[in-house]
Amino acid sequence: MQTTSKKVITRDEWEKRLSDVKVRKQDMNKLVMNFLVTEGYVEAAEKFRMESGTEPEIDLATITDRMAVKKAVQSGNVEDAIEKVNDLNPEILDTNPQLFFHLQQQRLIELIRNGKVEEALEFAQEELAPRGEENRGFLEELERTVALLAFEDVNNCPVGDLLDISQRLKTASEVNAAILTSQSHEKDPKLPTLLKLLTWVQNQLDEKVSYPRINDFSTAMLEDPAV
Amino acid sequence: MTETTSQNKSPSHNGFTGSYFVQVWRDTSLTLNPESKSEFDEDCEEAPTALDTVNSSGGFSLVGPDKLSVSYPSVNLHGHDVGVVQANRPAPMKRLVYYFEILVKNAGAKGQIAIGFTTSAFKLRRQPGWEANSYGYHGDDGLLYRGRGKGDTFGPTYSTGDTVGGGINYATQQFFFTKNGAVVGTVYKDVKGPVFPTVAVHSQSEEITVNFGKDPFVFDLKSLVSVYQAYEAEHRSRQQIDIDKISVPQDAGYGIVRSYLQHYGYEETLQLFDLASKSTVPPISLVSEIGCGEENSVYALNQRRILRQLIRCGQVDDAFAKIQEWYPQIMKDDSSIICFLLHCQKFVELVRGGRLEEAILYGRREFQKFKISSDLDELVKDCAALLAYEQPHKSVVGYLLCDSQRELVADAVNAMILSTNPNMKNTRLSMYSSLEILIRQLTASFLERRSLNGDQGEAFHLHRILESGMK
Repeated sequence: MQTTSKKVITRDEWEKRLSDVKVRKQDMNKLVMNFLVTEGYVEAAEKFRMESGTEPEIDLATITDRMAVKKAVQSGNVEDAIEKVNDLNPEILDTNPQLFFHLQQQRLIELIRNGKVEEALEFAQEELAPRGEENRGFLEELERTVALLAFEDVNNCPVGDLLDISQRLKTASEVNAAILTSQSHEKDPKLPTLLKLLTWVQNQLDEKVSYPRINDFSTAMLEDPAV
Repeated sequence: MTETTSQNKSPSHNGFTGSYFVQVWRDTSLTLNPESKSEFDEDCEEAPTALDTVNSSGGFSLVGPDKLSVSYPSVNLHGHDVGVVQANRPAPMKRLVYYFEILVKNAGAKGQIAIGFTTSAFKLRRQPGWEANSYGYHGDDGLLYRGRGKGDTFGPTYSTGDTVGGGINYATQQFFFTKNGAVVGTVYKDVKGPVFPTVAVHSQSEEITVNFGKDPFVFDLKSLVSVYQAYEAEHRSRQQIDIDKISVPQDAGYGIVRSYLQHYGYEETLQLFDLASKSTVPPISLVSEIGCGEENSVYALNQRRILRQLIRCGQVDDAFAKIQEWYPQIMKDDSSIICFLLHCQKFVELVRGGRLEEAILYGRREFQKFKISSDLDELVKDCAALLAYEQPHKSVVGYLLCDSQRELVADAVNAMILSTNPNMKNTRLSMYSSLEILIRQLTASFLERRSLNGDQGEAFHLHRILESGMK
């Protein structure tokens, strides 16, 4: 529906404004570097430093360590991951009980996945149960996880989602974020945030103006204003 | 990879792309020049710091050498010999509150002192408030004048020893005035655009000093500001929640980075990026790979990468030779902007290598033909200025020796080659990566939103977002 009072900015006018904007190449390079670093593309970040002369905002060696932890969780080697995190910075797990619990929970899940029932029970009682007493949320999650043992066909049980690959990815992403935070680095890259901001500001403008929008971020095509 | 070279490029086409990079260079040069105000700083509004001694009223008042005190040495005769002085800058607008104070050191013969705000069009012989679009709180009668002939009942009078303040509350669109630390009253600000803090003296021996914030204010501005900051912070966090709620396609950032690497010919980074993203868990789908933009952005990728590397290593001669070999049409016009940029870079590289005599000879030989526009002239001057310094990298033109200047020339060559792509319909796309287009759209949209909002509120600045650390 069209309101007659809506201001219209033509494509020509808008394109002129776009070309008046000053964008610094170095800033765009930094944005790309931030993406590579945060998402853990360490080799690409190193090469980008050489090809563009952009300095990464954190020591690239720490990305390698962080990615090693992430990969360990993703492939189910949780014990290995915990050891690596502690090598990196023991405070990360000390100050983050929820993350530690989730890692231990993941370890339990992996034991169950591998059919090590006795070991799993022992681990749950010794390591996880005391934590469940401290925190109601932990207890519920522990109960849910142990419930895996009660079903013959775990793939078709109500808690089967715990065995899904997405559970590993969730834990991996949590530990990734914690390491970044411990390095005083934002846990998300800035680029997606800018895309959110663009979506938001375009929506705001829509209420008052008709102007050329960008609807598809991958092509960055300007759409003609609806007149 | 096969590249076809097209011969159908019009010179004006080349000029467009080239002049874009000249403009970028100009901006760099201007930004680093301390005399000029960078456009990147448009938002860092400067606040008044002193009284304006250039435009003050014709000799009736005397501004002290500190530019913060005013006195009225003569005897006033009529209403057009007011000693009015404006601040050296208008009150900043992109904030919540602006405030300044005066101290009456001597109320003089009649105590006809005034504090207020006026526009740049204000006639500097009159009391603030006597003319339209001006506002003044007067000491002798305590009235508030706002260009309506007579004053309105407002507050107490003020005299020797009193501190009086004038402020603007942008949140409520009001002027407010204070006396000795207490708010006297407010008045609706029905003038748009910038206003100048203004003071006036109008009888013999009157003397005041002005405090633009260098010294602590008598009025507790902080308490007022914190009230509005809390309001603003709440507003902003609500806004932030709205923004956080927005979801964007998960791989959008990934695709934009990838096309950026393609656009600028960062080929080796691209290869490692692609390699790594194939081994991520879960692997990133490369659906967009066959998108319509892909074909254009991989155009001449390898050659663009080689040229960028040559320029980044300072091997301008080799870059010249390669372009000549691969894209003779770009070099056909030896007075084109792209040739200009390359010649300048060659000159800069000679200076960097300490080969000054060679640089001079090179400059004399090559710069001659570029005396076509004043923009280029300025840039030649910057280059030549390198010769004047013993340590050129520490001089104002030291930016020419930075990595970023090589990058600029490499970007220009990259854009020229992209523009030879016969399938490239839109010249803009040869200059801008999709990332750049999105940032331009973001900036322009924020500016339009601010302008709809009475020029108040925040603009978008990428470098600020980059500087902001953790949330």
